[in-house]
Amino acid sequence: MQVISPPKVYPVIVIGSGASGGMAAWNLTRQGIDVLLLDAGDKFDRSKYWTHVPPWDAQARLARGERPEPFFLDTKEQPYLTPTERKFSLTRVWGHGGKTNVWGRVSLRLSDIDLKAADRDGWETAWPISYTDIAPYYDQVEQLIGVSGGTDDSDVLPGSKFLQPPPAPRCGERLLQKAMGKLNIPVVAGRRANMTRPTRGFPACHYCGNCGNGCDTASFFCSADHLLPFALQTGKLELRSNAVAARILTDENGKAKGVQYFDRRTGAEQQVLGKVVVLGASCVDSTRILLNSKSSTHPNGLGNGSDVVGRYLCEQIRLNARGYLPALEGTPTRNDRGIGGEHIYMPRFNHRPGRSRDYLRGFGAQFWNTWSNWNGPQEGSDRIPGFGASLKQQIKRRHPAWFEIHPFGEALPYAHNRITVDPSRVDRYGVPLLHIDYRTGENERKMTEHMADTIEEIVKAAGGVLVNYRRGDLDANGSAIHEHGTCRMGSDPKRSALTAFNQMHEAKNVFVVDGSAFPTATEKNPTLTILALSWRATDYLAQEIKRGSL
Amino acid sequence: MARSEQDMNRREALTRLAAGAVGVAATPLWVQSLCAQARVEAHAHAAQAALSAPAWTPAVLTPRQNEAVIALTELIIPQTDTPGAKAALVNRFVDRVLSSASTADRGEFIRGLTWLDDRSQTRAGKDVAGASRAELTTLLTPLAAEGAHPPEDAPGVAFFQAIKSMTISGYYTTEIGLRQELGEDGRMVLPAFEGCTHPEHQ
Repeated sequence: MQVISPPKVYPVIVIGSGASGGMAAWNLTRQGIDVLLLDAGDKFDRSKYWTHVPPWDAQARLARGERPEPFFLDTKEQPYLTPTERKFSLTRVWGHGGKTNVWGRVSLRLSDIDLKAADRDGWETAWPISYTDIAPYYDQVEQLIGVSGGTDDSDVLPGSKFLQPPPAPRCGERLLQKAMGKLNIPVVAGRRANMTRPTRGFPACHYCGNCGNGCDTASFFCSADHLLPFALQTGKLELRSNAVAARILTDENGKAKGVQYFDRRTGAEQQVLGKVVVLGASCVDSTRILLNSKSSTHPNGLGNGSDVVGRYLCEQIRLNARGYLPALEGTPTRNDRGIGGEHIYMPRFNHRPGRSRDYLRGFGAQFWNTWSNWNGPQEGSDRIPGFGASLKQQIKRRHPAWFEIHPFGEALPYAHNRITVDPSRVDRYGVPLLHIDYRTGENERKMTEHMADTIEEIVKAAGGVLVNYRRGDLDANGSAIHEHGTCRMGSDPKRSALTAFNQMHEAKNVFVVDGSAFPTATEKNPTLTILALSWRATDYLAQEIKRGSL
Repeated sequence: MARSEQDMNRREALTRLAAGAVGVAATPLWVQSLCAQARVEAHAHAAQAALSAPAWTPAVLTPRQNEAVIALTELIIPQTDTPGAKAALVNRFVDRVLSSASTADRGEFIRGLTWLDDRSQTRAGKDVAGASRAELTTLLTPLAAEGAHPPEDAPGVAFFQAIKSMTISGYYTTEIGLRQELGEDGRMVLPAFEGCTHPEHQ
């Protein structure tokens, strides 16, 4: 006799283990809820990180056939489509922790300047939450992950209460700071998720500066180190690797009933059942999954009766200006590694009296590469004229004097900036590929002008010289790796896909907790807010589960 | 998420390349492409050749071209009080970059080198590998000059820009370039980060 047992139904299936999905899994399991977590990749092996490998040693290792951990998803494995004339540079990390393995760690709270922007200027829909809704979650997140920063709060950057001490600025950063002070342009200590104090058993940052290769001591927040192991310890988490989620399955009432995924190693199709699905596969991939989840009740993709899913993609625009400060030329090369990346930040200021310009929203600025580079020549060194001993001397003199200014600006949400899926083009599993159609408009052009003016003003005041500078030359779309907006939250179900608690209006047992939920891009880096919103959404979800309302 | 500086360089090189926006307007695309590739090789640990093996043979360059590249890279970053590009084996780095470059870009580089050989033959009666340091300096000086160039020099100007950029990427990522020449201390575990302590910068 054959015993047929009913298939297991998980209380919650979470898709993606980065900032959003990792937080969801951690927060639900610690509240006693069983979770199946699907990740498209595997665990990255810390023993194989090349955190402390200098470039010449890297080449020797490669010669021996060794390779660093391949964090970034190859487009050969997973292509995506764009119109030929409008490229979009998409960066994806499939593996435990997702992009938090290698993120830039800039951790800026949104304020009501960001959250109430649409209420003020009327462009597209407003966030359904305000700062007071999210502030307690920022407090919790910052204590959990360890964020360093100053006490220099403002209307743009509130809430420094739980920040750890910031690393001191480097020489070039000091000089830029001084120049910005003269111009009355705000500049603060950077707020970044590098632990400058030991935190929850993790050692403090040791200032090697090579965070982009993965941290060998887990001294900056990565979901795979700081969330997933704790979730596993509860005994409530089942973590399934190499599970490439394709579709959310729905029942005849349109509610989610499970997830279809493909095994990345074998290509085999699998289905798992769940009472609730939490989607945190990153903005672009979550959107692809929703749009591919078509059914008779959701013909336009799951939860997309409003036709907003996939639309309003907003990435940030970014300029990159580079130059040198003659005051630092010829000074000795310093160990400038610090926390890798800048130690200062220019908060948005265009809302201040006398500073407004003819465009909506705003921009802030970061200052990467304002240091003696520890991994090679600074870009721009090859623009020093000539060759021979004089060139060699000039490169050395200028090495400690380089600076960079990168304004990051908000791009408005536009309905035509859109992710779709193309049924005629499929991946190796037969699942329709992403198509990203993205362009910026007149508002962004005007903002770019203001960014360029600001750069030029600061450089002039600092006595700097710009090198190979082309005014208004924006980085390729997608470069900020801050995609938002394609499954936005809002109070009006006709104009938004999610409630203020990241719950789908049209499928109550589906939550989308990554950057796609943001109605606006803002000028700030999103990860801190993704963590806070995912924590908030899953607190709500846990309550609903306990109440039996799902 | 804006990744760290190292990846940022790589990503920027690639994305700006994709956007056709690297460098100054006059720079040919293949030069931009090879320079970006050199930065990728140097920064992103993508090199695969046994760059420091004693028995090394070039994968792309002929032995004579390799001699020419040794001479040119050493002319660009010569031995001074620290070793130059030749001692730092930058020719091997150049060969490595070429082997991972596209066929078209590789072809442009080799055509540029051939052009320079031809000019050297015309002007000095010998190819680049056979020319003296003084002869090479005379040959390269007009190509390296700032400002406008006669149109017939265009292939040489572009080639010089490419090999110069590749030399710099290669040399300053070696231990010789980064530590001996630039003075990077190489310390990767610091108990505290002091930052700038110069009173004149505060």
